[in-house]
Amino acid sequence: MHAPVFSEAYADDAPRPHYRELVERLEKLGTEELERRSRLVESTFRTLGITFAVTGREEGLERTWPMDLVPRIIPAAEWATIEAGLKQRVRALNLFLEDLYVGPQAALAEGVAPRWLVESADGYLRQAQGIEAPEGARCVVAGIDLIRDSEGVYRVLEDNLRVPSGISYVLENRVAMTRALPTAFANHDVRPVNHYGAMLLTALRSIAPPASSDPTVVVLTPGIANSAYFEHAFLARQMGVELVEGRDLVVEDHVLYMRTTRGLHRVDVVYSRVGDEFLDPVVFRADSLLGVPGLLTAYRAKNLTIANAVGNGAADDKAVYAYVPDMIRFFLAEEPILPNVTTYLPWNPQDMTLILDRLDELVVKPVAEAGGYGIVIGADADRQTLDRLRRTLLDNPRGYIAQETIQLSTHLSFVDGKLAERHIDLRPFVLTGSQMEVVPGGLTRVALPEGSLIVNSSQGGGSKDTWVLEV
Amino acid sequence: MLSRHAEDLYWTGRYIERAEDTARLLDVTYHGMLEWSDKDVPQAQRDLLEVLFLDETFDGDLSDTAAVTEFLVLDTDNPGSITAAVERARLNARGLRDRISSELWEAINTFYLDLRARDLRADIERQPYQVYRWVRNACQTVTGVAAETMPHDDGYRFLVMGRLLERAEMTCRLLDVRYHRLVDSGGAATAFNRWAALLKSVSAYEAYLKEYRAAVDPIKMLSFLLLSPNFPRSVRYCLRGTEEQLAELLEPDRLTDAQRLLGMVGAKVEYCDIDSLVNADLGGFLDELQRDISQVGVAIDRHFFHHATDLDLHFYISR
Amino acid sequence: MMRLEIRYLTTFEYPQQVRDSHNVLRACPTTDDFQALLSYTLTTDPAARVLSHIDYWGTRLDVFGIRHPHDRLSVIADSTVETYPRPAPEPDASTDPYRDDAYRTEHREYLADSPHTIAGSSLGDRARQLVGDRAQAVAAVEALIDEVRRLLAYEPGTTYVGMNLDEVVKQGSGVCQDFAHTLISMARSAGIPARYVSGYLYAADQSLGRPPEEAEIEVQTHAWAEVAIPGWGWWAVDPTNREPVGEHHVKIGHGRDYDDVAPLQGVYHGPANHRLGVSVRISREQMSEYQSQQ
Repeated sequence: MHAPVFSEAYADDAPRPHYRELVERLEKLGTEELERRSRLVESTFRTLGITFAVTGREEGLERTWPMDLVPRIIPAAEWATIEAGLKQRVRALNLFLEDLYVGPQAALAEGVAPRWLVESADGYLRQAQGIEAPEGARCVVAGIDLIRDSEGVYRVLEDNLRVPSGISYVLENRVAMTRALPTAFANHDVRPVNHYGAMLLTALRSIAPPASSDPTVVVLTPGIANSAYFEHAFLARQMGVELVEGRDLVVEDHVLYMRTTRGLHRVDVVYSRVGDEFLDPVVFRADSLLGVPGLLTAYRAKNLTIANAVGNGAADDKAVYAYVPDMIRFFLAEEPILPNVTTYLPWNPQDMTLILDRLDELVVKPVAEAGGYGIVIGADADRQTLDRLRRTLLDNPRGYIAQETIQLSTHLSFVDGKLAERHIDLRPFVLTGSQMEVVPGGLTRVALPEGSLIVNSSQGGGSKDTWVLEV
Repeated sequence: MLSRHAEDLYWTGRYIERAEDTARLLDVTYHGMLEWSDKDVPQAQRDLLEVLFLDETFDGDLSDTAAVTEFLVLDTDNPGSITAAVERARLNARGLRDRISSELWEAINTFYLDLRARDLRADIERQPYQVYRWVRNACQTVTGVAAETMPHDDGYRFLVMGRLLERAEMTCRLLDVRYHRLVDSGGAATAFNRWAALLKSVSAYEAYLKEYRAAVDPIKMLSFLLLSPNFPRSVRYCLRGTEEQLAELLEPDRLTDAQRLLGMVGAKVEYCDIDSLVNADLGGFLDELQRDISQVGVAIDRHFFHHATDLDLHFYISR
Repeated sequence: MMRLEIRYLTTFEYPQQVRDSHNVLRACPTTDDFQALLSYTLTTDPAARVLSHIDYWGTRLDVFGIRHPHDRLSVIADSTVETYPRPAPEPDASTDPYRDDAYRTEHREYLADSPHTIAGSSLGDRARQLVGDRAQAVAAVEALIDEVRRLLAYEPGTTYVGMNLDEVVKQGSGVCQDFAHTLISMARSAGIPARYVSGYLYAADQSLGRPPEEAEIEVQTHAWAEVAIPGWGWWAVDPTNREPVGEHHVKIGHGRDYDDVAPLQGVYHGPANHRLGVSVRISREQMSEYQSQQ
């Protein structure tokens, strides 16, 4: 039997106060009407072409973005704590990265995180050493994944500091929701999210090189074949800026330009959705045409700003994640508002003993994978899998982490024609420019199969609109 | 606007025009051949391929009309085939979805999807006329939707320019390949049919008749297709149209290579002496015209698209 | 003390025009306990705006691009450097730390495989066998150097950048880069942290390493290695020749292997083939009259 699970909408079989009105409304509509509206949402998403690509499957396979009809509601006071916790965390992460790449590396010197561990993170880029980021804004867009444990405590599951995706779905979900449940939406005082484009543009312009008075911002995409191309185009449209590919850009005398029909046009800020190591073939020697030769040196010369900063992977490596609470204490002299999930590191001999001892109770994750790939949930694994895992851990202790199994909270959801509880998580988005802002809510992901803990859309996850209340 | 977008729009214009012209030529050739003897077939096919600039690409049997038709309609390895042209236009449009109207995207995408859904091979065998008319209509729909749903801004101008230049080249080649063949052909009735076919292949038959009242006179016809100021497929009309679009895209104070070349070729056409050309070297003149027009294309490419992608990226590392 | 003037010259010739070239040069001697850089100037033709910075490894990088079409590019880096004698390493330094977890973790960067030092197990087995249970670090390293010299003969033109190390060893010949990579690969297999050094050698014959008779010589860039001697520091060793690393070695920088300190690298748009000429001219500066009178 599993540990107790926290239900978001219900306590002791009665709706929690902030869910009372919504539950009443859903009951009043009835399942037949909910089913009708559910199909309406799906067909709208299909016509608008709001899809995601399923990776690891047949190439080019696209699915319509699945949105669950029941929104998640977060009361204002609860959100205030989350928001403060997110800002605190991202502030510390920015300071850590700044210290690492252009600072005295005080955190490494003081042993906040082991130097060798940070330097051996895949995303730590020696080529980015010494490159300054205006305003120290390195995690311009951060996606911090939160889960809620059986006590209802919000915990950070992982940090996404490179190219976190999903914000376009947050906005599209909201649009769809206001159409699908207009009365319920109108009866709640929900904080808006649709100004995200303006928020992002403001943040990006605020970190332009000092010399540019009216900075030109572009969104850099790997191209139409990329699984998140829809979001790249969406963001460019929302900000009213060009969506460019590497071949549209050229560097001359360490200044970046885009090729236009009226000549070369200077670019000041690149919001990059291209992986760091593809950005500049000169520096990374990547045999790839996605990037722009000379881009990194132009960035180093402070003739342009790249967001997110290059090399952020040093801080969102899953083994480095374990040290973020200590980073908060070190850089901010504060206690973390949002705790981590208890994490053990196999490279540490004491942790290794404990992990091997409790392998069938813990969750083991590779440090550099995303999208839920490579995760082993000990309690669900057979003997053979665990034996194999044991050997893998001993062979490559730096490559994995182990965490206590957390029963994600559940939320009322409309699945297969009826209302039922399903596990959820939350990815809020934090913007850092000259100021810091958190998008109210974020992307709530829901594991659609009953009992499943895997919320990733690539593995059968859906999503919910997330309502943060004004009061 | 981004050079890449302009270039993609320009080529979308060219591809759609190409598909339309090919369909029209095939239609006319097919129906013409019904009236001709078998021995004329290979020559007619060769002419057709030559007009489309594909006579050196096709390596099949010229007397096999089905093979030639397949090559021109279905063969995706032939970049000049209707299917390939529509596929490329659609690929471009897909990357331009944020730049073009959703109606234009839908028109091109629907064209492509319908093309894929049809059993073209069977359809051509059964009722070629309908297939060719369908392609023509679909192309004209795309053109019309673009004109009616897109702002007539820089992007639209590139689309139009691509179409006009493709068309100008096509009309030149058509005249070049067909004219002498027709002048040499025998009896009056045959000649009439063939002249009519030539006019039909650029949709000029009715317009010509209105202008010249059924008098099929090679010189009149030639001057109509070269010089008519208001027939949209005449070379002069296409060149003037391109000139107008270019002027809107460029600063007025400085003449670019593209404009200079276009002005020169335009003058060459407008001031040519058709009567003496017919008796002298018409073929040479038309060849020169084609070369000039393709130079205009090169100059446009160089001025607006200035991509580095025409040169490969190489890595080096010294020891 | 020795004062050397070094001219590093690279010339590219392309069969057709190229454009949009971007280049990274690592030719500037570093300053450390054993050498001091007195002057450095860089000239390119066509002229370019050069941006310089010190990288993660402490090496100076000169980065420049040329966008407009060109069919020739020359890069000249002139430096003046003073070199000083180097002390011999502590012969009794112990090999124990090589087996210590904390020491290994601290030196992880120079113990892990890097692209140019990956080799099959036989080279590593040989290294472990040679080091065996030797107690003295210096002696262990010397045993490895002897083995590299046994395995490889100095023969320019028999290898290329990126050639697999096993192939190099099987063939039995190579140049200084191959000697350095082989030694580094063996050292790391035996638990000895080792790093790659790029630089210049004031010697007419790179495989002999003796200072030349002539004042001015024409050579290539040189490469050697540094190995960690516990409790003492990085010991520079030159497996290509029998001379100890000293006043005639001028260091540019170090890294995990060749990739981290390649002298010149980059990209350009144009035809695949190009002619690349590299030369290094080193001359020993005559002492001034004033100095010789002293």
